[in-house]
Amino acid sequence: MTGQARPIAGGQAGTALLRTIGLTKVFRGDGVSVRAVRGVDLSVSKGEFVAVMGPSGSGKSTLLHMIGGLEPATSGEIWLDGQRVDGLSQARWAVLRRHHIGFVFQVFNLVSNMTVADNVELSALLGGATRRQARARREELLGELGLAGKANAAPARLSGGEQQRVALARALANHPGLLIADEPTGNLDGSNTADVLRLLGRVHEQGQSVLLVTHDARAASMADRVLNLFDGMVADDAPVRAPARSSMAASGVLRLRG
Amino acid sequence: MRLPLLALLAKEPAHGYELKTLLEQTFGQAYPSPNIGQIYVTLQRVERDGLVRSQDVVQATRPNKRVYELTPAGRDAVAAWVEEPSEGPRIRDDFFMKLALSPLTGAADRMALINRQRRHYLGLMRGLSRLAGAAGRGNRISALLIEGAMLHLQADLDWLERCQEELV
Amino acid sequence: MRAPLRWIRADLRARKGQALAVILVIAGVVTALLLSATLLEGATNPWRSLFAQTRGAQIWMRLAPRTDARAVARISGVTAVAGPYATTAATLVQGPLRSQVELRAMQPAMPAVGRLLIRRGSWLRRSAPGGVVLEASFAQAVHAALGARVVLEGLDGSSVRVRVIGIADTSDQGFYPDQTPGLVWALRGVLHQVEPIGGHTDEVVGLRLANPAATGLAVQQLVTRQGSGEVLSVSTWTEVEQSMARGDPLLGLLLALFGLGALGTAVLAIASATGGRVLVQLQDLATLKTLGFTPAQVMAMVLAEHAALGLAGCSAGLLAARELTIPLLRGLPAGVLPAVTPPPAGWLVLIACGTELAVVLATAVPGWRAGRVQPMIAVKRLPPSGHLSRLARAALLSRFPPAVVLGARAAFVRRLPAALTVGGLAVSMAMIMIGLGFAATVDDVQRHPADIGLAAALTAGPGELNAARARKIIAADPQVAAVYPSVKVNALLPGETTTITTLGMGAPGRPYPFHVAQGRLYHAPGEAVASEGLLEVLHLRIGEFVRMPIEGVPVIFHIVGRIIEPEYDGQVLAYSLDTLSQAGVATPPVFYSLVLRPGVGAGPARSRLLAVSGNRLDVAQAADPADQIGIVRVMISCLIVVLSLIGLTSLFTASAVGLRDQLRDVAVLRAMGLTPLQVMTSLVTSTSLLALIAAAGGAVAGLALSSRLINLGAQAYGVGGGIGRAPSAEAITVAVAAAVVAAALAAILPARRAALLPVAAMLGP
Repeated sequence: MTGQARPIAGGQAGTALLRTIGLTKVFRGDGVSVRAVRGVDLSVSKGEFVAVMGPSGSGKSTLLHMIGGLEPATSGEIWLDGQRVDGLSQARWAVLRRHHIGFVFQVFNLVSNMTVADNVELSALLGGATRRQARARREELLGELGLAGKANAAPARLSGGEQQRVALARALANHPGLLIADEPTGNLDGSNTADVLRLLGRVHEQGQSVLLVTHDARAASMADRVLNLFDGMVADDAPVRAPARSSMAASGVLRLRG
Repeated sequence: MRLPLLALLAKEPAHGYELKTLLEQTFGQAYPSPNIGQIYVTLQRVERDGLVRSQDVVQATRPNKRVYELTPAGRDAVAAWVEEPSEGPRIRDDFFMKLALSPLTGAADRMALINRQRRHYLGLMRGLSRLAGAAGRGNRISALLIEGAMLHLQADLDWLERCQEELV
Repeated sequence: MRAPLRWIRADLRARKGQALAVILVIAGVVTALLLSATLLEGATNPWRSLFAQTRGAQIWMRLAPRTDARAVARISGVTAVAGPYATTAATLVQGPLRSQVELRAMQPAMPAVGRLLIRRGSWLRRSAPGGVVLEASFAQAVHAALGARVVLEGLDGSSVRVRVIGIADTSDQGFYPDQTPGLVWALRGVLHQVEPIGGHTDEVVGLRLANPAATGLAVQQLVTRQGSGEVLSVSTWTEVEQSMARGDPLLGLLLALFGLGALGTAVLAIASATGGRVLVQLQDLATLKTLGFTPAQVMAMVLAEHAALGLAGCSAGLLAARELTIPLLRGLPAGVLPAVTPPPAGWLVLIACGTELAVVLATAVPGWRAGRVQPMIAVKRLPPSGHLSRLARAALLSRFPPAVVLGARAAFVRRLPAALTVGGLAVSMAMIMIGLGFAATVDDVQRHPADIGLAAALTAGPGELNAARARKIIAADPQVAAVYPSVKVNALLPGETTTITTLGMGAPGRPYPFHVAQGRLYHAPGEAVASEGLLEVLHLRIGEFVRMPIEGVPVIFHIVGRIIEPEYDGQVLAYSLDTLSQAGVATPPVFYSLVLRPGVGAGPARSRLLAVSGNRLDVAQAADPADQIGIVRVMISCLIVVLSLIGLTSLFTASAVGLRDQLRDVAVLRAMGLTPLQVMTSLVTSTSLLALIAAAGGAVAGLALSSRLINLGAQAYGVGGGIGRAPSAEAITVAVAAAVVAAALAAILPARRAALLPVAAMLGP
């Protein structure tokens, strides 16, 4: 496959799949400059699930966009799979995204004039698969996500939850190293959210590295580590540990509610 | 009531009435005005427990006032209280006390406080998720109870975010 | 690559209608251009049609005397043989005039290959053993009229008296005198009389090939077979064709301009359609970028999609041109185009490739913009919203239908696309106006040919009758309004080495009714009128004098007016007939220019005159340039259709883009309480308003240009300015109204859809 990252010599990258050092983004316009992200250091190891929380305007989405090459960083370093990727041109980033990053957004994940099957296969074809391989991968993914019957539907006809599941399928089509999700459940109701989160969890169990931005506590609690971003900087970075008690009694739950 | 008073004393010694005024100033209308009698009773109790000691100060034109100050044990108690994430039925009130009074204790960084609480909440959430998974779909009552708790936790985390925005 | 192909396939499937429209537009442009090329070929190279009509021979060989030419027929590739015809050199004596001619013996039966087209009189016939037929350009050059008695002299002095019984066109030679000696055909008997010695007589053979392109090879074979000693000369059709190509500058320029104009407008339309499409698809393109399409890939994809559409359009256009050429041109008036031949392959390739290139260029800028789309447009970009201008507020307050006001305001929110749409439509409309102007001019010329200097529909010569009798017959005809005795003499341009034609027309006091653009007609002898071209060449102005040698005699003319005279390449001088006799110039035989009564057809009048005179009067129809201009009318109709198609495409684009922008506003308005009908009105108004402005602007520009262009062209051609006509007020109104109605119709369907969509769908994220 094209676009394989070249691991660099030396232990700069460590075992980290993703590593940012002092990542900064300053928006300049109308004589005013806004520092959306200020010197963020974060890392995601292989197979790790990292969640990023924080109030609106804290720079979460900007951070994610920079990591995916959708937004150029003002300064700082981004290391992906041992390769330094900040400062790459749009074209090089595009090639990188094909194999190393899968994106799921809150909305507008799917190409509106293509069927569900085409949407998923497009990703695979872009990654260099043949038509047959792409078709096989699509059938496998849609089957796993419970969407086998909707292969020829237009995206506009699917519910929000189904669209997000298709988006997930599309993002995973090329076995990306890192799955980046920006508020994937933000527009979904309770049961759809549960579905998508369950899928995320399953994907993570299968070894996928995930970087998730979310407001949803349940989603964040699924992560191995949660980062809290405040005012463009990392305010907290800690693993999620369930309470020591092996089981929570009903009284404990009731107390939580009290 | 105990620990807030201890936290107030952490900054500097004060007598009963000063403590009442401080509480009112800090919490304003949102909190019921503390009863001076309750304050004195609590002070006596913690003195008995050895967390504070009192001293009579002679005043020229007024009756003597009793000034209380923290003992090392009291300081430890306050520190322990701040360090531990809040739990129990009055989880919010307890945490908010800590957050509001933290500039006075000087001991805890507000951000660290919030972070600790958040980590705790997330851990709880994870526990609930596991519980929900273990309970299975069969037990609808149990599932509803767990979901209720989760919704409350989500609300708490959102509120935590607001605290972070406003007070940090 | 597979991924872009997949997207292209899905995109085309999603917008079948629009893709089809683009293909139709391109096909229309290609068809129009090809038809123009065909007509241009036919108009500027009449030899081609003549060749087709006469079933000409591609190779003419001149063989040594007494050569057996039968072997020639057996060479592969030769489908038919003309001749062999005995040919000898001779001299034609016409009074003092002696011309070298080539006398050829032929049969009374017209051959199958290498036929001759009789223009006047008849072909050789046994009942007229001393009759000869002259080749048309030669006859014109030496002023040999039908019925003239001339003498043919052979090489050794033997002379034969013959009579001209016919004048014919042939396709096997170029014009006299540039290309050939004069051609004279006669029966074998005459040839023997002129040249009794067989050894001085060559054989001429014409060969028709199965594959006209293989003339070179065929010639080689022939020379080898026949032996080079026996083949005296060979001429091929390509040589003749090249020498005959006249290249009518005005027509060619007109057609090229129109075709290129149509192409340019099509490019504009396609560019704006593609730009609009990219605009509508911004979100999807951003998603593609997120997936991993590089900017270059996206641009290449957009270009490839439209290149494919262009290819389909060009192919469809080529096919349509091939199928439509014959039926379409059959509708032309007879005599405009005797035969239609397909344009050479070179034109086909040029037009198809040129159009394809234009399509690719048209999509280059939108494609580049598509490539530059930012990946993952995080926020749904709201279309720019203008604020309510004072005008709009006033209109709303004054109880104007709110829908109309909102629609009018919305039309201009996006400045650049609105400007492009208006521009594209305006250019289309301007060209349509110019086309209508040309059509009006043609109409005018056909109704009032006198205005273009074609007062006389027929010319008559005495033919086989004597002058008095001829005159009596003509004057007696009830449908002849006036008779003007005329002569044509050459004059040498002072200071130049070229000769021009001068016309002595009309009796004293009764000048021929030329169309005078400036000054007046001649009345007294010595006065003359000249055409614009001549005045320019001689640097003369009205009122000045010029001295010109006519038949060797210098004559002084007083220029009193400028006329419009479309023949003679714009260089002609006309005066009254008695000027020549007064100057002592020997006048050639007089012919008569006949002006018919209004409403009388030239053809029937001619037939009647011929009948009355027992076919002995020589009557010919005056060449009618209006016929040639009539070709332009056919092309203009085609081009107007194409331009309308192009305008429609612009309209569809405008309404699609406009709709997308207004969708949010529409939702808000509907939530506020505007009924679906009002919403539709608003949307339709915005498109119609743009169309009205564009059509009005274009019409004004087109009208201003139309007369000017026509007069410019006529001047350049030497006909002289002043013939341009503007289209009628009704035509203009219909055109503009049609544009606005088309805009409204184009907007109605999408407007209806928008008006009935659930409001929530439009307000959502």
